[in-house]
Amino acid sequence: MNWITSWFSSSKPSDSSGGIAPDRAKRKVCWDARDTYFACLDKNSVLKPGEEQNLCSKEEKRYEENCAKSWIEYFNKRRVLQEEQKDQLKMMENQANDARKRN
Amino acid sequence: MPGLVFTPKAGILLLLTGAGLLFYFDWEKKRIKEEKEKAKANATYGRPDVGGPFQMIDHDGKPFTEKNLLGSYSLVYFGFTNCPDICPDELDKMGEAVSAIEKALPESSPLRHVNPVFVSVDPARDSVEQVHRYVQDFHPRLIGLTGSYDTVKAMCRAYRVYFSSPPPQEGEASPGQDYLVDHSIYFYLMDPEGLFVQAYGKNNTAQEVTERVLQEITKWEKGERAEQRYTFRTQT
Repeated sequence: MNWITSWFSSSKPSDSSGGIAPDRAKRKVCWDARDTYFACLDKNSVLKPGEEQNLCSKEEKRYEENCAKSWIEYFNKRRVLQEEQKDQLKMMENQANDARKRN
Repeated sequence: MPGLVFTPKAGILLLLTGAGLLFYFDWEKKRIKEEKEKAKANATYGRPDVGGPFQMIDHDGKPFTEKNLLGSYSLVYFGFTNCPDICPDELDKMGEAVSAIEKALPESSPLRHVNPVFVSVDPARDSVEQVHRYVQDFHPRLIGLTGSYDTVKAMCRAYRVYFSSPPPQEGEASPGQDYLVDHSIYFYLMDPEGLFVQAYGKNNTAQEVTERVLQEITKWEKGERAEQRYTFRTQT
């Protein structure tokens, strides 16, 4: 299994910085790359990162180059969660409206 | 005018009334004092048990305990330097509030300098050097604290902070590893005696935090604190 762990660790962008946490400037570069990638997903009506096929490969590459893997996982999960929460809120609102109409 | 004639009877009556009043006042005074003391003792139970002694290391590598914060209000935030976005946002907000409070109070006010404090919940990666680098991005007076896994854990327990970083012997958390730490994201206002006052969350803006801390400082400067504890308890 060694080859798997070594392959994973060598693909971690944070390793290139020797374990030093990103500073304000690096954080901003990562957030910008994330926002550009997410904007591309929105443009192509894709919610879940990774399901866009090759439509945003340039943006995705920049995102992966500038953000730690753990950050990317976190941002991607949050994007889906936030959308689901929005849907749930809308559903609840609709149900409340329907109930009001019926009364 | 016969009514004004001083008789021995009237004299005794006057003495008795006087003694009675004296006794009554004295008794009443004692009773009120006792009641106040009881209320004070109760008030310490009413206050959430957050905070207390800790032994950490500051971002210059010097020992740092709760005593270093006494004499000023402190805003305390728990986070980690590899935090994606919530920690830096909250620390920016805290710094903004600290600056606004300083500006709002006259230079003569001894409480205008609030201590901004960042406490690492990721001791495996947050070395003194790492924390030192990290605090440079925020308020110039921001104090960064770290320690061993056990001292961090003890401080988090005292402050009722949850965090998920695994202990180092479990092998997962080490410098150079890429992981996130799940943790509570409130920051705490502690008074000049190191007692917990209130907590602020993501939904509170810098302006709200500023206003609420200023209210507390004004109360403290007026000496209204003991009174506040008293009413706090009697309302519950």
